[in-house]
Amino acid sequence: MTNLFTKFLESLAPRFLHRDDEQLNPYYSHRDYRQMWGMGIFVLLTTCLLPLFLMTLIYYQLIERSIDTESLLRTERVASNARRAVTYLLEERLAALTFTVNEMSYAELSNHEFLSEVLRNLKLGFGGLADLSVITDTGKQVAYAGPYPLKGKDYSSQPWFMECKQNNICVSEIFTGYRDVPHIVVAVKSQQPNERFFMLRATLDTARLVQTLSTYKTGAHADIFLTNREGVLQTPSHYHLSNSDRSTLPVPQFSERTQTMTASDSEGQPIVVGYAYITTNIAPTPFILMVVKEKAGMMRIWLDLRRQINWFFAASAIIIAVVIIMTSTSMVNKLFRTDQEKAHTMMVAERNAQLASIGQLAAGVAHEVNNPLALINETAGYVKDLFTIKHQYQEDPELVEHIDSILEAVDRCGTITRQLLGFARHFDVKTQRIDLGNLVSDVLNFHKKEAEYRNIGIHVDIPENIPLIETDRGKLQQVILNLVNNAFQAINNGCSLDIRAEMAGPERVQLSIRDNGCGISEEHLEKVFDPFFTTKKEGKGTGLGLSITYGLVQKLHGNISVQSKTGEGTTFVVTLPVQVEKDSV
Amino acid sequence: MFHIKYVKLRVNPKNSCKMKQYDILIVDDERRYAEMLARRLGLRGLICGVCYDGKAAIDTLNDSLVSVVILDLQLPDLYGTDVLKKIKKYQPETTVIILTGHGTEKDRQECMTLGAHTFMNKPLDISRLLAIMSELKARSV
Repeated sequence: MTNLFTKFLESLAPRFLHRDDEQLNPYYSHRDYRQMWGMGIFVLLTTCLLPLFLMTLIYYQLIERSIDTESLLRTERVASNARRAVTYLLEERLAALTFTVNEMSYAELSNHEFLSEVLRNLKLGFGGLADLSVITDTGKQVAYAGPYPLKGKDYSSQPWFMECKQNNICVSEIFTGYRDVPHIVVAVKSQQPNERFFMLRATLDTARLVQTLSTYKTGAHADIFLTNREGVLQTPSHYHLSNSDRSTLPVPQFSERTQTMTASDSEGQPIVVGYAYITTNIAPTPFILMVVKEKAGMMRIWLDLRRQINWFFAASAIIIAVVIIMTSTSMVNKLFRTDQEKAHTMMVAERNAQLASIGQLAAGVAHEVNNPLALINETAGYVKDLFTIKHQYQEDPELVEHIDSILEAVDRCGTITRQLLGFARHFDVKTQRIDLGNLVSDVLNFHKKEAEYRNIGIHVDIPENIPLIETDRGKLQQVILNLVNNAFQAINNGCSLDIRAEMAGPERVQLSIRDNGCGISEEHLEKVFDPFFTTKKEGKGTGLGLSITYGLVQKLHGNISVQSKTGEGTTFVVTLPVQVEKDSV
Repeated sequence: MFHIKYVKLRVNPKNSCKMKQYDILIVDDERRYAEMLARRLGLRGLICGVCYDGKAAIDTLNDSLVSVVILDLQLPDLYGTDVLKKIKKYQPETTVIILTGHGTEKDRQECMTLGAHTFMNKPLDISRLLAIMSELKARSV
């Protein structure tokens, strides 16, 4: 179990980040695995997470919008209902006072007992009235029924008195007045025939009003209260506990209908405000009804839901990211391993081919050296024979001829050895200026004998004007050797091989190797440079020769192409730059 | 020792070989080598003819009496085995010794199957060749 887990973890380690073997680098098909990995993860993550993210955002917006609309509607409904109740409460009492003042005469009302009787009846009929008094046009209170000792007080300077005098009826703000208890004064003027008037004044109990308002208050996050038209609080407000005098909300614009708006409280939290200007049919009032609801309270369910969605989204995103990273790593690892194996095979194959060509070279040399050695053997043997069998040859001039023959054979061996050394040395040398003609003739030297035996005509046409080309001698030598070998295998005895060079533009030299052998069929032509492609019998060819030749030409910054027709022959054309940057070869 | 007679073949091996009787016919494209070997064997009393290609060898065999042919495998016109086949077809009694520069095991097997007497690699061990010649002489006597 642990083993399996370890293996699983190993398969996830990004192996492609560190390439162990520098030598393999030129053989990799893909250069930047890190970028490939990163791009893969980025594209997959974007494709998977972006729609999820956008969908969640759109969902949030839709829900928020609908909650906004819903909260505005709800607040407006509450404000509207409360407005009706408050209006009704005030209107009812105003109507009763108007009725009383119109029905009773000044004489009756200024009678204390009568006034007390009226107050009792009003309290029984409507409730909410604290006291009742009659005030003359000078502002003096002539009769009073109620619990406070207010008889004889002068109200001429009171704002409600002025208002009532002017408008015949008035509803005051809530104030404490002489009695130190918050109350509302409701006064109705009665015009007398003698151009004089008196007022019937009643005091409304604010407790009744506050109670009425509080019945419309729903939940801990809601508040309902009255302010005057300057924004001064008239009834207690849960929302304005800290500042009980003046509302922190702006005084809303006048409207006959119930309105809603959004604002933020003193702590910056979003709130929904519903308001209505209280106006009765009998008289206007100074009150504005305000309903305040905290948005957060209304949105709590949605916020809880949103938190859950956020958790779900985060968990999904993490799982998706982990799966994508794991999958990408594993896939890029697999690709890298395959590429690594291929690169390794290519490297080994190239080395093997190099070894094979060295072996071929050695065999060629052995062959070439063997003939002069055999000649030395026979000539030296003959000289020895002359000495041992025929003593009279000691002073014979013929002897000199044979010694010359030995020396000539030694010279031949020397030439071949020099060529061999020259060939071998070039495996290590990097760029140098080389004469293409010399190089071709060096390579052909190793095929001279075979060409002679097989009666193969080799025609070399390398004009004098071909410049020295700067390239890797060893690699180019191998390229030509491979192509000539190929041609020799393709042609029958008596056929011919043409090697010609010409300029292809000012900076490039083109070398063509043409044979009139069996040719390559069209279906095989496009595969000849593929590794392991061979038409030879199993075991005869590795299928690597041309593939490696192709790779070598690429390394020399050249290119190679092939034209062939079955039965007519094949032409390989190698184009090489006259000058190559040293570092790149 | 054998009767010593040296046959010098410089200009036209075909004409020189005409109606002759040879102990050994050396067939090798390396002219100097063939001549040198002929001289050495001549010194030892063997009558040697020299040919430089397969066609000349076959012509010589048609015109002369040859007891042993020393045959190289790589000839300019024919492959040594082709010459060997022809010899074995028309003159099966002629002994053929293959002497080649770089014979492989496969070549050796092929030549032995085709009826070669011995397969030798260059450089030649002359004492071995002489031993074979003595043996052949002894057998024919």
